[in-house]
Amino acid sequence: MSRVSSLARYSLWQFRDFVFERGVAILIIGFLWGYVLIEPLRRSMGPAWNGPQGTTVFGIALQVSSAIVSLSVLIALHGIVSSDRKLGYYRFFFSKPVNHVLYYTQLFFVYMVGVVASMLVLSLLLHTVLPTFSIPNFLLYTVLVYVAMGGIGFFLSVATRYDWLTLAAVWLGARMLRGLYGPRNDWRSKLVEVLPPVHKLDAVANSLIGTGTAHATDVLWLFGYGALFFALGLVALRWGSLAD
Amino acid sequence: MAGMPATDDAYYRTAALVIEFRNVGKIYKSLLGNSVKAVEEFSLTVIDGEILGIAGPNGAGKTTLIAMMLGYLRPTAGTVEINGLPARQYVERNGIGYLSELIAINPKWHAETALVRFATLAGISRSEIRQRVGYVIDLLGLDEHRNKKVKALSKGNLQRLGLAQALLRDERILVLDEPTHGLDPVWTQRFRDVVEELRRPDRTILIASHNLDELQRLADRVAIIDRGRLQRVVSTGYENTAPAAGTRYRVTLASGHDLVRAVFPQAEDAGRGEYDVTVRSIEDLNAALADLIGRGALVASVVPERSVLEQQFREAVGESQ
Repeated sequence: MSRVSSLARYSLWQFRDFVFERGVAILIIGFLWGYVLIEPLRRSMGPAWNGPQGTTVFGIALQVSSAIVSLSVLIALHGIVSSDRKLGYYRFFFSKPVNHVLYYTQLFFVYMVGVVASMLVLSLLLHTVLPTFSIPNFLLYTVLVYVAMGGIGFFLSVATRYDWLTLAAVWLGARMLRGLYGPRNDWRSKLVEVLPPVHKLDAVANSLIGTGTAHATDVLWLFGYGALFFALGLVALRWGSLAD
Repeated sequence: MAGMPATDDAYYRTAALVIEFRNVGKIYKSLLGNSVKAVEEFSLTVIDGEILGIAGPNGAGKTTLIAMMLGYLRPTAGTVEINGLPARQYVERNGIGYLSELIAINPKWHAETALVRFATLAGISRSEIRQRVGYVIDLLGLDEHRNKKVKALSKGNLQRLGLAQALLRDERILVLDEPTHGLDPVWTQRFRDVVEELRRPDRTILIASHNLDELQRLADRVAIIDRGRLQRVVSTGYENTAPAAGTRYRVTLASGHDLVRAVFPQAEDAGRGEYDVTVRSIEDLNAALADLIGRGALVASVVPERSVLEQQFREAVGESQ
């Protein structure tokens, strides 16, 4: 049996781990968050929920759902590489005939499937109370956020033990710095241009979830940034040490 | 190992080479710029069919050496090669049976499930997995624990689970880091039997241990390291080693206690029919024992106060400090 096919067989175990260690948490948090924010609004609005204020309702649902996607990616990706290092699990995994770069590449994509599946469940629930909410558009957005945010998260997990905190700091920091220096026309505004393009997510969320379309440049920026960092993570994994 | 001259350097240079450490060094550097030399100029060749022990005090660099051999750490100097390949490349292609000092298995997994997972990663086919997992479970007496979660296992059972995953495949190289740590005396003895059963002309076994008695019994040679440096490589057999002058032995007699002083005038009575005697050479010891037996005494056992390995270890570690 080839090493690649045995690793592919192991993806079922990786998916199982995702379900029990991350998927359930994502579903519970996502459901509670959505329920607490949306259900009281729906009750108070009564018939207006599906009436003339539909655009406002949709806007709120969009904000909530896009925030849930970001949080889910954060939950899914935390410790994807660093936990195995911290806890020492890598020792037995990689004494087997396994290429660790392929192992973590596969894990990244298995978790992507897991996040998309979790978002499918949550969006189905949302769809029952808000039929205008497009599930395919939402899942497309989920994939984009997973690559954009997850790519950076993956790199940080290879590079540092505290990836979850670092990713949150990078994500929020980029947003804050862009808010502070983005509108100016000096060296600082040029510098923030190279920070993760978090600000593009809002526009992409509005257009992609709402209409299924988005500016190609925005999508390319987000996708390219995440893919670049994911690739850098793989290079660091290949040439760095597995042990701390 | 039968027929293998354990101290003949030429033999080690010409035999089928398996693992080669060449001037290996490893320096750990902190973010603040502090550095610690874990291993320095370490060179050693380990061949097919050999059981090599690695002994050294705490912090000597044993685990760092093993981590470099598995490709988990990159040496800062020198190379580690296995069958001509960089260590990590060899492991990715062939795998190594590895028992780490710290048994790190997800505590939520069940013992048998953990083995099935490792077997899947090891490339064992679906049809063979049950058979191989069943085999190692039987071999290591884990049957009653197979459905327990890893976190519910005692230290000894966890150690056996770690050993079980190392033996899932018929590996050519086994690396066992402190293998009997946490095992009770019954399983310590059983472990020795398992290692003897694993001995094969085309298999190399490395055992890192603090337990010199264990290495004396199992290993063909022992590399003694201290402060990251190879101090010496010792053959564990007595056949090539003349005991140092003044070596002490404990002689136990079943009968003929009154004859001891006639043969060993300096013998010290250690009680319960045991006597500590000091001899100048192994020939003197044998001549004296023959005399004692000839006079009608029944000798139950003769044990050196320190094994060859203990003696060498004390000298090597003592010298380096």
